[in-house]
Amino acid sequence: MAALMDHVEFRTALENAIKGKSANKAPFSMAWAAGKLSRKHLARWAENHYHYVGPFADYLAYVYARMPDRYTEAKDFLLSNMYEEEIGGDRHTDLLIRFAESCGTTAERVKDPDNMSPTTRGLQSWCYAVAMREDPIVAVAGLVVGLESQVPSIYRRQTPTLREKYGFTDEEVEFFDLHIVSDEIHGERGYQIVLEHANTVELQQRCLKICEIGAEMRLLYTTALYRDYVESELPFDQLQLAA
Amino acid sequence: MPRVIFHKAGVAHEGEVAANSNLVVRAGIKHFPYPHLRYGCGMGKCAKCACRIVAGAEHLPEPNWKELKMLGDRIASGYRLMCQIWLSEDIELAQDDVAVVPA
Repeated sequence: MAALMDHVEFRTALENAIKGKSANKAPFSMAWAAGKLSRKHLARWAENHYHYVGPFADYLAYVYARMPDRYTEAKDFLLSNMYEEEIGGDRHTDLLIRFAESCGTTAERVKDPDNMSPTTRGLQSWCYAVAMREDPIVAVAGLVVGLESQVPSIYRRQTPTLREKYGFTDEEVEFFDLHIVSDEIHGERGYQIVLEHANTVELQQRCLKICEIGAEMRLLYTTALYRDYVESELPFDQLQLAA
Repeated sequence: MPRVIFHKAGVAHEGEVAANSNLVVRAGIKHFPYPHLRYGCGMGKCAKCACRIVAGAEHLPEPNWKELKMLGDRIASGYRLMCQIWLSEDIELAQDDVAVVPA
């Protein structure tokens, strides 16, 4: 029988729930870190990633609207995250498109939803479903803690590789640079909301479960990118040798 | 744990932060130096978080391309963008009352 955890225990449990299914372990991420992807592969990644992260403020807007008005700080944190994604500086998706163009694709191709894989469409749909249907605290756990908070550790590994192994310029990889800062803020805000308001055993357990599912969804998405675009040119046994 | 002395509007605010902390990230989640540290975009594009390093600059990495682009000659006067810096050692810094205008 689970017991109510204090903030320290609960945070550790959330981190462990995510860690077990980290997208860092996906073959696409391994190939990326090993410098084994081509610019064509990275273009396909960008064309998919746009449809996963592009609506992030939309996902959060649904959660914001359903967050109880007495949770003022939680609502303010969500609003800040939305603002920073879209208009706090450069729009994050504009920087993603700049990277995509440097990989040889076009803004039109990136924005065209017909260019995302079925798995990416599934991940986007899951994000919308969580935002619209889950308890808002559980939704923050799934979307912000389970998904967004993983981003800094992933991009911290991938950004130096983009410069050193793939030869991109600082401006071309700015999308990845900014996430190291802003997603760290966003992820921490998510943790604060969940730690503060998941104050029953049932809510804590639901938050842990959705973190696991969110991390699984991201792993599924990243694994599908490898299978759909890379595996025929770089089989897994060769990738393991290179990684 | 790095000790931070942060000067703003004639007042020195002191606190400890975990190693590898970014002050803009901390302010973004309402931890010290919140509410004193002014920041904006969190992506090295507005220079609102610019501070002059009073002591401890020798422990910081060289300014990156965004800092060079946004701060220009102010780098020589000790200014840095705090959104671009993770702290591992003690530091003393000051933020002007009026935000730095990007170079």
